[in-house]
Amino acid sequence: MSGWSRHARVLAICWRAAVAGEVEYRLNFFSNVALSAFWMVWAAAGASVYFRFTGTVAGWTQAEVLVVIGLFFTLNGLRQALLQPNLERMTDYVRLGTLDFLLTKPFDAQLLVSLRQVRVNNLLDPVLGLALTTVGVVLSGRGVSVVALAAFGLLLGCAVLLLYALTVLLMALAVVLVAAEELGRVSYAFVELSRFPVELYRNPVQAVLTVVPVAFLTTYPAAALLGRLDPYLLVIAPAVAVGAVVVATLAWRRSLHSYSGASA
Amino acid sequence: MRDVVTAYPPLVRSATLVAATYRGRVALSLLTGFFPLLLMGVWLTIVAEGGPPKGWTTGDFLSYYAAATLLWNLSGDHVVWQWDADMRSGDLSVRLLRPVHPFHQYATNDLGHRLIFLTVLVPALVLAALLVPGLDYPVGPVRLAAVAAALVLAYAVSLLMASTFALIGFWSTQTSNAWLLWWGLGSFASGWVAPLALMPDWLRSVAVVLPFRTAMGFPVELLMGRLDARETAYGFAVGLGWLAAFAVLYRVIWRHGVRRYQAVAG
Repeated sequence: MSGWSRHARVLAICWRAAVAGEVEYRLNFFSNVALSAFWMVWAAAGASVYFRFTGTVAGWTQAEVLVVIGLFFTLNGLRQALLQPNLERMTDYVRLGTLDFLLTKPFDAQLLVSLRQVRVNNLLDPVLGLALTTVGVVLSGRGVSVVALAAFGLLLGCAVLLLYALTVLLMALAVVLVAAEELGRVSYAFVELSRFPVELYRNPVQAVLTVVPVAFLTTYPAAALLGRLDPYLLVIAPAVAVGAVVVATLAWRRSLHSYSGASA
Repeated sequence: MRDVVTAYPPLVRSATLVAATYRGRVALSLLTGFFPLLLMGVWLTIVAEGGPPKGWTTGDFLSYYAAATLLWNLSGDHVVWQWDADMRSGDLSVRLLRPVHPFHQYATNDLGHRLIFLTVLVPALVLAALLVPGLDYPVGPVRLAAVAAALVLAYAVSLLMASTFALIGFWSTQTSNAWLLWWGLGSFASGWVAPLALMPDWLRSVAVVLPFRTAMGFPVELLMGRLDARETAYGFAVGLGWLAAFAVLYRVIWRHGVRRYQAVAG
């Protein structure tokens, strides 16, 4: 396991450097945290308009929808803090030849390219999101059992893996297409679709979002936390997540085979 | 003033050509602008489950959000990012040297892009109105002319409001966040978060005198035939009032702000 600890240590150093570069701009940091909090209140207030006319939408109460909105902010924050800053640099990596340089390092290239950068401004978003989720659970008046909490942890982990797999897949595409900005929009759209539980949409949209698999991001973890998850998803979700990471890793390696280098 | 007027057609034309060159980007930003459709999707479920809220049927929601998508892509908000980037990089210095005021440079650039969006979205909206059952606009020549005027007013107000806000950049580096806060608050009063007809009464009565509805909800409601003659006239009056107010505010703030501007880069 020394390989793992070495990789973890190197990534920690990369992140410390990235954080050190940004904490100088303190006003900017606090202004962005305040804005994140504002968007969360905005989303919760916006959803409350629906509940002026009905107590539940497709079986979801307002408090339960808050649980999902909180998870949406958690995942979207992770995307903005950890995944997006790396994805958006891919164009430059390929165009300027930085990728050649990164590939020669004695370090797993996929981990280095996909996790090297971190955007400090959104690092607190997952904390804010989980706080909203907690508020939603409390307001829903449901008790949370240890089993439900464990299932939630598992499914949230699967959601994060799924999001990571998508980013690696997009990076693999970026090596070929050299259009990271456009590809970044794809990952934005993927997460944005998980803002509400997928059951809030009617078919065929709901079916599409289940297959795509947007439902695995927020709907299923929320269902687990609220204690109404179909038990078979405890097997399916890890299978989907691990499968996605394997596919993305294979795609990444394949794209490197087709990559011929940019620096002289 | 004559110089500015003669400068508009060629500047807009060149911006249109630039936008047309990056067709892929236009298509992509249209595709990722699906947020209003998410909001609509939930409304459709509510209608299916419990009947139309306040008489809003599936057709009404389809008509509203189709038109709202057009308005969203027509807004002049985007100039805020351009101003912010140019003040930071110092590119504003170059723009100050040109014979046309920077406001018009950003406006013509944005207008060119909006025109490209319009050439895609207006036919799409007409097609949707013809093909999608329930999605209908009760329009005659008079109302169509009024809607066209309301669209121009919507663009002008959103452009002037955004440009006025962008001038905060002379004093602070937080323009874009301040703008997002302003926009986010305004989105409750514009018809973006939900149709104003479905909002609480107190919010609706505040919204009709604020500038946000002019830029979004007003033209949509007009197109849907939900406003009588008095409400239409009132909407135009409020919009024109804000247009004048922002024009004055812009000039005042510009005069003070530009003195503080120190080029960041050469």
